[in-house]
Amino acid sequence: MPPRGFEAVENAYGVAWRWAEVLSVGSLDRAQARSELAGLEADDFCFLDTETTGLAGGTGTQVFTAAIARPHPNGVELVQLFLAEPSDEPAFLAALDLELRLTPGMATYNGLSFDLPLLRTRWLMARMPGELTEGRHLDLLHLARSLLRPRFESCTLRAVEERLLGFERDGDIPGHLIPQAYFDYLRNGASSDLEPTLEHNRQDVLSLQHLLHRLLHRLRGADPTMEAGDWHALGRHLLRRGRRSAAWRAIRAAADLGDVDAAFLVARRKAVVLEWRLKEPAAAMRVVEDAIARIGPEPDLERRRLRLRGRLDRLDRRGARERAQVVHDVGDPGRRRAQDGAQSFAFSDETGEGDDDLRVVGLS
Amino acid sequence: MALPPFDPGSFPGEVTLDHTIDGSSAEFIPLPGDMPEDLALALRSRGINRLYSHQGLARSAARAGRHVVVVTPTASGKTLCYNLPVLERILERPESRALYLFPTKALAQDQMVELGEMTSRLPVNLLVHTYDGDTPAGQRTAIREAGHIVLTNPDMLHTGILPHHTRWRRLFSGLQYVVIDELHTYRGLFGSQVANVIRRLKRICDFYGSSPRFLCASATIANPRELAERLLEETGVELIDVNGAPRGERRIIFYNPPLVNRALGVRRSSLLEGCRIAAPWIKQGIQTIAFCRSRVSVEVMLSYLQHSLHPALDAKRRVRGYRGGYLPLRRREIEAGLRSGEVTGVVSTNALELGVDIGSLQAAVLVGYPGTIASTWQQFGRAGRRSGSIAVFVASSSPLDQFIVRHPEYFLGSSPEEGLIDADNLLVQAGHLQAALFELPFAEKELFGRSDVGPLLDLFLEDGVASQSGGRWYWNRESFPAEGVSLRRMAADNVVIIDTSNPRPDVIGEMDQFSAPTLLHEEAIYLQEGAQYHVDRLDWGEKKAYVRPVEVDYYTTALNSLSIKVLDAFAGPEGQPLDRSHGEVKLTSLATMFKKIRFLTHENIGSGPISLPEQTLHTTAYWTSLEDIAWSGIDRDRMEAGLQGMAHALRHVASLRLMCDPRDLGAVPEVRSPFTSKPTVTVYEVYPGGVGYAARLYELHEELLRDASELVAECPCAAGCPSCVGPLQNVEGAKNACLSMLSVSASVA
Repeated sequence: MPPRGFEAVENAYGVAWRWAEVLSVGSLDRAQARSELAGLEADDFCFLDTETTGLAGGTGTQVFTAAIARPHPNGVELVQLFLAEPSDEPAFLAALDLELRLTPGMATYNGLSFDLPLLRTRWLMARMPGELTEGRHLDLLHLARSLLRPRFESCTLRAVEERLLGFERDGDIPGHLIPQAYFDYLRNGASSDLEPTLEHNRQDVLSLQHLLHRLLHRLRGADPTMEAGDWHALGRHLLRRGRRSAAWRAIRAAADLGDVDAAFLVARRKAVVLEWRLKEPAAAMRVVEDAIARIGPEPDLERRRLRLRGRLDRLDRRGARERAQVVHDVGDPGRRRAQDGAQSFAFSDETGEGDDDLRVVGLS
Repeated sequence: MALPPFDPGSFPGEVTLDHTIDGSSAEFIPLPGDMPEDLALALRSRGINRLYSHQGLARSAARAGRHVVVVTPTASGKTLCYNLPVLERILERPESRALYLFPTKALAQDQMVELGEMTSRLPVNLLVHTYDGDTPAGQRTAIREAGHIVLTNPDMLHTGILPHHTRWRRLFSGLQYVVIDELHTYRGLFGSQVANVIRRLKRICDFYGSSPRFLCASATIANPRELAERLLEETGVELIDVNGAPRGERRIIFYNPPLVNRALGVRRSSLLEGCRIAAPWIKQGIQTIAFCRSRVSVEVMLSYLQHSLHPALDAKRRVRGYRGGYLPLRRREIEAGLRSGEVTGVVSTNALELGVDIGSLQAAVLVGYPGTIASTWQQFGRAGRRSGSIAVFVASSSPLDQFIVRHPEYFLGSSPEEGLIDADNLLVQAGHLQAALFELPFAEKELFGRSDVGPLLDLFLEDGVASQSGGRWYWNRESFPAEGVSLRRMAADNVVIIDTSNPRPDVIGEMDQFSAPTLLHEEAIYLQEGAQYHVDRLDWGEKKAYVRPVEVDYYTTALNSLSIKVLDAFAGPEGQPLDRSHGEVKLTSLATMFKKIRFLTHENIGSGPISLPEQTLHTTAYWTSLEDIAWSGIDRDRMEAGLQGMAHALRHVASLRLMCDPRDLGAVPEVRSPFTSKPTVTVYEVYPGGVGYAARLYELHEELLRDASELVAECPCAAGCPSCVGPLQNVEGAKNACLSMLSVSASVA
């Protein structure tokens, strides 16, 4: 007996069990960020999560339910498939494939290393033709880790829900009971843990949808709850994506909010630009000394100071005092931008970055 | 032709065999005309312009779609027997794949180098990879996708490849050949395990639509074809055992060091005698290999040999050790040194017995009997120069060594050893059936190999391990069953024996949980390879015994209430006046205390309690019972002691005949067995369920009695010693009693 609410849908491979509902989601704060979404819009993505008979992987681990959430004009459409009999697997997979074809993109949480390899294995094991439709895949675990660490030591979906999305699940089934719930169902035709398992699975994909939009807001610097460490993480993430101007704006914001590591990065960058691109070693020296005074001794800055000292001494010996005087008046482009105020702006989501003064000095 | 010199007169011990085997010339055939031109060119560029006859036969059989087993000596071009058909097939059809199995990682590495030599001369990009625990994660995907030839070991196939077969679908879909080298190592428990891995492999191949041929290579054993047919569960395996490679003249010598203590049967150290034989050869620049039984003795012998050489000879570079635990790079360097001649002497464990390429040396010294005739020939074979070679076996005091050294005719006669396996051992099969179920659901009436596993699957269903749906059985657990099965031993709870005398504690052995309470209890004197060890501590929870070597004049014996219950007799009793039977038994053992017994005087010099849990063992056994006539004229005390000696002797000769470790068997004397109501000796298998030894012992009954009686009769000790009847209780005339009981039956039989 399939669980309550599931209806039989027939396909070429047999019968699959499907549950569907449209929920109105009023509170969803939509955001867009094409550069993070492989050229797609956020609404092009569905959200997929599976429950399995184990975490060990390999050919003996089965997927017994899959939930899919996708945008709907009235909110969100929630679909769930259930494998009532292991021998129905081909029909189950064919039904899943049909759902995944409806959107050009799909988002998961750790799907890259867990759900998708497992589904591909099941596809082969069930002797299905061709390959499972996957679309453009976005693994939100990777994005979440990138943006939330190190402030969140744990990035499990549960931890992220509680700390970022701000809600706690009531009566959620612990993950380690899930495989047994299904085994009990197979053995006895029923299990009191099965309904909570299915609910858990549906809740996961709804969370994923919220999470995507929340992370996209962060990417644009438009999340008002961001702290210094968050700005720093955002900066680093943008650097990895090659978006240097936006990255440095975020890192400066982190520095202004008191993040020591970010302050160091900013100081180092300023010093590099001053010394090598603008040829102003004396100004670079002031930046370095100022930074050491603020954030304490730091090996890179100490080395830089020593080297600059030597360089300035040589310049002195060559009688280049006047030149050093001029340098002082040109000022410091880095500081000027930092004064623009970091917390108030939200930067645009342009993939093509304009001027990036760092490329000149090759700082990575 | 000058063989390395050996003068029996210059040694104090006894030379029991001095035998010369004539050389033979090579039998060639031309390179086959239907071989792909690229491959023929590659062979010629390596100087191979023709094939040995056995290589040609193996190739033809493989190309005709037969399963093949090749049995030829070391250094006879065995690898080409399987490499040729494999490479040919891949050249003809590039989507073809081959899987090579070697018992160790080092052999796979070695073969990869060899294959790389060949493939680098081919104009196509043919990918050869090893895949084992050392393969970096970053390379694994590429190997799975693109490797033409994957070299691995049964353990990796078992846990790393089969359970993830979907990632290997290219390999399994295109699998044409499975190469199993060193087939003779897959016997006993290990072989029974691997037979089940092969059942799983064949199921997976079937799923992907391939049906590979198996190409096996084996050292000389009595029944290579039978072993292959049992391991593969195939019939009509083609046996190729006529060697076409040339052989030089070979002199084989058995040497028994002189007795130093007649009562104890203790002889002069085989290790020191081995050094005295090897050192002059190495000094003269004769390339010599010495084989020792343990890692420790390798190091001891190495230092003796190095010291015996003149410092100017750069002994550290010219005489090398070789054993497990050396880094691969160092091993490669030593192997190359042996091939080039730069290394004159090498002292090795059996690590160099298997197919590692070190060229042919001039002399071999075997310190202690390697345990089987097959291994002995393998080790002798390391000395195999075309210009002539010599090999010396130096016997230790152990019963097996003493039997062999006194029975050279037994050794030279046709090989009596057999590779035995029992793929249907219930425990072994059940573990692999779970792994197989994990890999693919079972269909109704599907056989596992040739075994009907319906009842087992129903049992799984009952236990919730499996579920049934649409007429098929599915794996129904979270766990990964292959991880729970180790191919190399029955259970994870063997007791590991650790020698703590070195700065780095060394594992010197293992013992099954059933026997451990009587032999490894605290304060026990544990004997291994003639050396005494004192058990300082036994950690039963962790299954570890901590020992250190000692030299004491006593041994320990545990008082053990051991009972045997025969559950089912499969055959027997049969025969007079010692009948024979075999069947299923349950043993219960409770060790209560131990005594320290002084050698010679047999006086009791101390005792202590043993408080370890009772052990039970379900297994198969062979037993023999004495009619009254077999012990007429022997009083009961001596009969009891004699039975004990019989058990000891039977167990040792049985291991010899079965080609297994003596520790795979146990033996129990009973003055009056509740089952037979007669004095009975039972030889049982220590692995739960057994691997087929008991049934074979039943067949070998007469040979066993004869061997045992000769072993005891020819031992020069006065009243029984560890070399023949084992440590006996203080009973006058027990050795004679044992002998007369054995021989009366042997003569009648």
